[in-house]
Amino acid sequence: MNTLIRNRFGTDEIEVKRDDLSKVTVVKYRVFELIHLLVEQYGYTTLNAITCADWIEEGHFAITYMLTTRARRHTFMVQTMIGREEAKIDSLTMLFPQAEIMERDLHEMYGIDFPGNGNLVELSLENWVHTPPLRREFDTLAFVNELHDFREGRDDNLDVKAEMKRLRALKKAAKEAAAKKEALKTEEKEEASQPSAAQKESGHGK
Amino acid sequence: MEEGFLIQQRQMESDLSSDTSHKSSVDFLMNWFRKRSIFVLAYGTGCGAIEMPPTFTSRYDAERLGIRGAATPRQADVIIVSGYCSYKTLRRIIRTYEQMANPKYVLALGSCTVNGGMYWDSYNTIKKLEDYIPVDMYVSGCMPRPESILEGFLALQKEIAEGKASSWQRYEENYEFYRKNQEKVLGRNVAPAYDADWYLYDGGL
Amino acid sequence: MVEYEMIVIDLFLMLVSAYVVGFLYYGLYRNITARFQRRIGPPVTQSFYDSIKFWVKEETLSHGWMFYLGPVIMMAGALMTLFFIPFFYQSDAFSGLSRYGNLFVVLYLMMLGPLGNAMGVGAGGSPFGAMGVTRGLTRLFAMELPFYIAVIALMSINHSADIATIAAHQESYNAFSYPLLFIGALFSFIAMMGQSPFDVPGAPVEVYSGPASEFSGKFLALLMSQSAIFSFAKLVLMVNLFLGGASGFAELLLKTFALFVFVIAFGALYGRFKTPQSVDFLVKVPTGIAVVGLLLAIYGG
Repeated sequence: MNTLIRNRFGTDEIEVKRDDLSKVTVVKYRVFELIHLLVEQYGYTTLNAITCADWIEEGHFAITYMLTTRARRHTFMVQTMIGREEAKIDSLTMLFPQAEIMERDLHEMYGIDFPGNGNLVELSLENWVHTPPLRREFDTLAFVNELHDFREGRDDNLDVKAEMKRLRALKKAAKEAAAKKEALKTEEKEEASQPSAAQKESGHGK
Repeated sequence: MEEGFLIQQRQMESDLSSDTSHKSSVDFLMNWFRKRSIFVLAYGTGCGAIEMPPTFTSRYDAERLGIRGAATPRQADVIIVSGYCSYKTLRRIIRTYEQMANPKYVLALGSCTVNGGMYWDSYNTIKKLEDYIPVDMYVSGCMPRPESILEGFLALQKEIAEGKASSWQRYEENYEFYRKNQEKVLGRNVAPAYDADWYLYDGGL
Repeated sequence: MVEYEMIVIDLFLMLVSAYVVGFLYYGLYRNITARFQRRIGPPVTQSFYDSIKFWVKEETLSHGWMFYLGPVIMMAGALMTLFFIPFFYQSDAFSGLSRYGNLFVVLYLMMLGPLGNAMGVGAGGSPFGAMGVTRGLTRLFAMELPFYIAVIALMSINHSADIATIAAHQESYNAFSYPLLFIGALFSFIAMMGQSPFDVPGAPVEVYSGPASEFSGKFLALLMSQSAIFSFAKLVLMVNLFLGGASGFAELLLKTFALFVFVIAFGALYGRFKTPQSVDFLVKVPTGIAVVGLLLAIYGG
């Protein structure tokens, strides 16, 4: 199967990650052909997930469709790259109805458009008017600091790292002192037993 | 008869200033009864909702203190904000809080209500609950165990008895402050929009 | 005019005793249910605290005059039912207005409560309230059947519709002489007290407490008081009809408490039926049993 796919779609070597997971990267306009082939001929009948990774340095999103066999024995990941400006790819809802919610999630979080999906409304965010939050150009920390102001700490605030170091040093010193005491005690015991042994010997000798 | 029994009541009780320390034996008795019977709204806001069932059922029985669950905000005294509040949840919490009848108290669980907690750098949660709803008692922890929640209830009962738990009056007096913060985070339309006809036209079905 | 004043004092004493005993029974109900669940419950006087806390709520939200009248009509229905049931069949004390009205009047007045409930809740505009009220009225239609059949049987046996007469004529309790009638009436009594398995209209997790969902503050206090008084009235009615009445307060308390504990135990052990399930059951099994008991009682001598 792998060689057939490789020859027909002109892809790179199919990456076998585990014995139940393989991954292949195809161009965008041949993705659905490959998915249809996998579903109809090779029995990958379940769509597990549609995920997206943001490669901001190379300027594209990597969309991955994860298909699993009916007996859940093998998973095939089909990856394709789409551009970051005007991100758009056809919807898969005709083939898998569950793709509707997955594409809704990606639309909300990355701003990818799926023409053909009739229900691209918001899923977890509400009335979100800023940039889609999972894009890497969205600076979460700056957004949070601008919108909220935090409470100041208490007056007797201690620096956590310094405190932990100090406590650990104290514990170590205490342990060493205890070990020293133990050693001293055993030495004393040995000395105490030795004179008695000497006495015994002398007793014997007598 | 107008829908304004509130007006008559407010006129009768208008000399209660914001310092509600009990001035007379009637106030003392009223607070004593209020602390002995607390109805908690059965609404699990965040991850702290997992600690509420053990507190209210057989193992760490909270009913011995007179605390029981209430089904609707109209019947409840206390709303427990248990954990983080995303903007979506905050909208519903504000609407629910405004539906409750005075005197009402807010018990905030967890460190997410104090200063953001684990989600301090999240783009979709609020960091300080006090900016949006007045809070009576914080119970710290992530999540606080049922024993801590029971201690929080005991402290709340003590504050009610002394007359210091007056967060509902703070909300009424400083409403512009709270509303400004709510609008900053939620937009102008603070309450969720309902589209059904029977919500647009009050007066029934 | 001395008689008139005596009646007023009598009614007032009946009201106070029903209020106090009803709330104590509800406190005991919470304690007994707690013991079933291996925990201790609130103190026995907890229902008083709940009710007084609702009386001193500073804010009461109202939806109009019909909404305000709903609990008032319910309270009126409960009180009137209580006043027409005599506590002790032998004496004039605590007999209220029972010599001016008989069992027919009591059964008619028992319907006043749910009706007022329906009107008040409808004016509130809450969809959960309407849901709870329709379920309650559906259940009401089914649960009255076995009870009315048993009552008709008792009335024809005793040739009288007066509660005191029915209570006085029992040498051995009606529960043991006519057991089938008692069993049929007991099923509908469990439904009347709002216990599982027939308690779907007011369930907190099902319909957000159904009819009580929009009431707050003083209305809720009125609803709770009305519930306590009505429960006590129904308990006394059952004791008079089936358990031989009572000749003293101690005996009345003992018998009502025994019946109450049985009903609570039943409710604590069983789950909840859906409305069509409960209607189905109540119309088939208890009605059948009561009809058989009726035929036996009338034609069996």
